[in-house]
Amino acid sequence: MSITASSTLSRRDVLHGVAASAVVIVVGRLAQTEVLAQSAASALAINAYVAIAPDGRVTLQCAHSEMGQGIYTTFAAIIADELEADWSKCDVVFSPAAPPYRHPVYNWQFTGNAESIRSYHVLIRKMGAAAREMLIAATADRLRVPPAELIAREGMVRHAASGRALGFGEIAAAAAARPVPAEPRVKPESEWRIVGGGRSLPRRDIPAKVEGSAVFGIDIKVPGMVHAAVASAPMIGGRPASIDEASVRGMNGVIRVLPLDSAVAVVAEHYWQARLALERLNVTWQAGLGGSFDDAAIDAMYRNAFARDSGWAEAEKQRDALAMLAGSSRVIEAEYRSPWLSHAPMEPMNATVSVTEAGVTVWAPTQGMQMTQIVLARALQIPSEKITIHRTYLGGGFGRRLLADFVLQAALCSKAVGRPVKLIWAREEDIKQDWFRPAFLDKVRATLGADGLPAAIHHRLVAPSILAPVSPVPINPGTVDGLAVEGLVEHPYRIPHRRVDYHMLQVPIPTMVLRTTGHGPNNFALESFIDELARAAGRDPYQYRRLLLSDDAAALAVLDRAAMLASWGKAAPGRFQGLAFADAFGSYLCQVVELSIVDGAIKLHKVTSVCDPGRVLDRVNAAAVIEGGVVWGLSAALYSEITFDRGQVRATNFDGYRVVTLPDTPELVTDFLENRSAIGGLGEVGPVCVPAALCNALFAATGRRLRRLPLAAERVFTVYGKIFS
Amino acid sequence: MARFNFTLNGSRAEVDVDPSTPLLWVLRDHLGLTGTKFGCGVAQCGACTVHVNDEAVRSCAYTIDAVEGARVTTIEGLSNSGPHPLQKAWIEHQVPQCGYCQPGFIMAAAALIRQQPRPSEADIEASITNICRCGTYARIKRAILAAAG
Repeated sequence: MSITASSTLSRRDVLHGVAASAVVIVVGRLAQTEVLAQSAASALAINAYVAIAPDGRVTLQCAHSEMGQGIYTTFAAIIADELEADWSKCDVVFSPAAPPYRHPVYNWQFTGNAESIRSYHVLIRKMGAAAREMLIAATADRLRVPPAELIAREGMVRHAASGRALGFGEIAAAAAARPVPAEPRVKPESEWRIVGGGRSLPRRDIPAKVEGSAVFGIDIKVPGMVHAAVASAPMIGGRPASIDEASVRGMNGVIRVLPLDSAVAVVAEHYWQARLALERLNVTWQAGLGGSFDDAAIDAMYRNAFARDSGWAEAEKQRDALAMLAGSSRVIEAEYRSPWLSHAPMEPMNATVSVTEAGVTVWAPTQGMQMTQIVLARALQIPSEKITIHRTYLGGGFGRRLLADFVLQAALCSKAVGRPVKLIWAREEDIKQDWFRPAFLDKVRATLGADGLPAAIHHRLVAPSILAPVSPVPINPGTVDGLAVEGLVEHPYRIPHRRVDYHMLQVPIPTMVLRTTGHGPNNFALESFIDELARAAGRDPYQYRRLLLSDDAAALAVLDRAAMLASWGKAAPGRFQGLAFADAFGSYLCQVVELSIVDGAIKLHKVTSVCDPGRVLDRVNAAAVIEGGVVWGLSAALYSEITFDRGQVRATNFDGYRVVTLPDTPELVTDFLENRSAIGGLGEVGPVCVPAALCNALFAATGRRLRRLPLAAERVFTVYGKIFS
Repeated sequence: MARFNFTLNGSRAEVDVDPSTPLLWVLRDHLGLTGTKFGCGVAQCGACTVHVNDEAVRSCAYTIDAVEGARVTTIEGLSNSGPHPLQKAWIEHQVPQCGYCQPGFIMAAAALIRQQPRPSEADIEASITNICRCGTYARIKRAILAAAG
């Protein structure tokens, strides 16, 4: 057994230093009219987000990728509302990867971190408002009336006094020529007509998704296209040592065998021909830098980090928790562990790329538009501007598709064979070549004051960086990874003495963000621990949290609403409840799990979720995202775990990497409040409290405290899951 | 390579492929029907569910040589008179999120309600074993019950 911890795995080299420096940009994009490749040919760009054709049809640019969160509809609806467009005459397209569509603060175009609305809301409302003001100004000229007498509504600009009206299409050309307003005035919320206020729109992508006609990355067809299949090194970080091309010579359809950095690809006329050749291809592999590690060796690295004084960074300090704990006669202490996880979206990684002399064209299900451009530009030595990215629907993403490793493989294949190549990872490759959510090991100590509430809390976390591969700036060992400590720092509980220490572990395994980022594992630790403190103080867990949140009316409202909807404390005989609370991604969340124990197994009855994201822009979709998040959280709590043996990932398909299915899904009750002043995220929020709420309910039912996920690793199963135990 | 003939969505289909080619890749890659999805390749997730002689099968693990002479129905051919009641219910209940797995769920549900026109919740739980990573199961169950109602 040997371990070499290294942060310079070969796959990381590709990304090293690629990101632009983070720049804070003032919203100076109103005058930009990026050429809109996908817009109707006749549509005139009023600005980078709005184009209008002479027939009145409006084309709205969606800067983000649609991976199930409904952004394709809601993002466009926000612009349409400010524009006063007729929603039935609006078309939505995925924007190019281009400067006007970058995150307004990070100056970096990606879809993730539940940021698509909360970070773009101000920008895109201004874009819609600016276009509306330009349409009104153009109409005022045309009708020779003051702009103040005009009202834009449902795709028309109307002059009430004279009864005259012009359609957007009639004035689009004149509007596009108008000066861009420096400070467009967005509407007051009371005048929202398409989003918010409990409204909901049918999602634009759903009909095609039930017909089977929606185009995901894997469905792209390009003239002259051939197919590639990939086998990566069995051991993480390994590389092909020798490839015996003669072993597949003469096989039907085979065009080329190609060594990649950590893998080998076969390009063939058809996909299955590439797969057959890949199975027969003789490859010898050299081991990775990490050598032949297993779970025990990785666990020992976590334990060793706790035993060392070096490598720690202070993530939060309020007053002096260490002195308080040192002076206390009764310290309550616990350790929590969250497992390694794989993203495993239903659509495996794939991309179609055409590399020609003139430039590179990519068709990909990607969350990392700008990352893809930069990675390809560096690898192929061409300017970013020569890389055109067409985004498809994403069959799930969960963070995995922020990276461009799979797109690069397709590009290298295309360059080698001189034809467009669609490259598809088998599921086994999708898991083997994943950048995993690492295990989190949390040790937490607290001491209670005379009132029974925690007077001091000290949290120590060991976890590899999850931000480093997707960060525009370097994340160095010995510093704090802001995403890894999310949920432990700045939580709204009233605890006077607080300290959070973080050790960025170096492991021979690629690690990255995954839906819930740090909030998932950290909430499991913190909210399980708060429950333990409540029990130690002899208090009801809900009432205990009420005291801890007594300074925060919006947080209390979420807690109270969840307790009310779940009938907290009034469960039927034999049923038990647990709850947890989070302040995550700018939203508050409280979830209550209700379960019973049947023949020693868990029977899940109900999960109640109450979320306050400040504003709910689409009620039905927001509920769907939270509901789906609950299921994601249940998979993480009950079943999912990546384990390692001999430097390899053990289970590489859904028969071993288990997730929740329909029979395990309980009744889901979801509600929203809108008290927070700033708009928050939703996409990553839904799963956050589920593991702690579940374990807290299990404690209520059995008196047994489970501090390690998934529960399957502790031989705790659901009634349905027991079948597989 | 070998020739195989079968009926696909009511029309005659013929392909010349390696006999070990899964029906999934014949549909997607040779016949251009991409509504049937690749998820796992080992008949675990059900994203590739189609009907062979009216039975739901997982086409990623169903080789083309077993399809000779059979009737194959895919999501594209589920209904020849507008959307199937399940597809209508799926839209009504706004079921899909990323949507990738949904054709497989709809095909599995269609086979279920052909055999059991009024399935109970327990029937649905026993027979719908596909995987959805977005976690749309609760709405899938409601949509099946509504379509079968």
